[in-house]
Amino acid sequence: MIRTELKRGTAELAVLSVLEEGPLHGYEIGRRIEDRSRGALCYTLAALYPLLYRMECRGWLRADWVTGANGRRRRTYRLTPRGKKKLKPLRAEWADLFRALRRVAKVSHA
Amino acid sequence: MPDWRAHVRQSLGKCSGDSAEEERIIRELAEHLEEYYLALCDNGSSEEEAFAKTCAQAGGWDELRRGILSAKQEETMQERIRQVWLPGLVTSLGSYFVLALLQRVAIRSFAGHPGIPHGVVFYSLWLVVLPVVGAGGGYLSRRWDGAGWQVYLGVLVPAMGLAVILVALFLISTVAGPRVPLLMKLPALAVGILGWTVLPGAGLCLGAALQGLLHRNPLSPVRQESV
Repeated sequence: MIRTELKRGTAELAVLSVLEEGPLHGYEIGRRIEDRSRGALCYTLAALYPLLYRMECRGWLRADWVTGANGRRRRTYRLTPRGKKKLKPLRAEWADLFRALRRVAKVSHA
Repeated sequence: MPDWRAHVRQSLGKCSGDSAEEERIIRELAEHLEEYYLALCDNGSSEEEAFAKTCAQAGGWDELRRGILSAKQEETMQERIRQVWLPGLVTSLGSYFVLALLQRVAIRSFAGHPGIPHGVVFYSLWLVVLPVVGAGGGYLSRRWDGAGWQVYLGVLVPAMGLAVILVALFLISTVAGPRVPLLMKLPALAVGILGWTVLPGAGLCLGAALQGLLHRNPLSPVRQESV
């Protein structure tokens, strides 16, 4: 199980990565991250929503109310060009960190 | 089915100064919890079990409220920068650049003609150009959803900057040159404030106001295109 402090740092990259594939609402974002990480990254509301609001205010995401097929209106988040731009260096940063950890701590599958 | 909106409202408490914004947040969080709850029920959890798991998924309500408030505070600061300080900086650079340019041009053009009051020429031209600079600042502020006092505060930054300089000079001269009577310095300060703050400020505000009228006017060419 990954500790909360460690997960918090990963959230930005995780959210931007799942939104790269298309617009999603908050629940779907959390669900998709959880599925992709096979349950290792599971964010509570307290971790996810302040982050979404912060990313929205930084201009990385845009949110709109969208009516779904079942008639329910949900706040859907999409990546902005600025968010797309942010994703590449963020990925590179994490890749550097994993490489460094592999060398230092002999983390084999990082 | 639990009333998730009521549950979120009760558990979260005050999370925004704006009631419409707060309602939007509550609605969004309630939608999330409801969907989580329904997914658990669909996967065979009992209603009690699903309710307990959904409440646990929310995490700490205090932490959530603090996180939202902090994110919104960041948003407010970013808005102030975009709606007030950035237009203020652009307006300042624009007005001071025009002033410097006109001074250079006026001094060059009228060199050798001592009878022509250069100062008045470039100063009058500057005042004429300032509404255009103010309109630019107003446009920038309104582009980022600035309204009312935010727009005018932004475009008034250069005039306020000059006022600060004049007051600072007045204070320095009062301390450094106590022999000159205050009755002579005060009128000079008043004239300086009028000429370098009030009149330029009025010019900048006039430009911002005219830009605002154009921005609002539904028959303006920009709006007509979008219709």
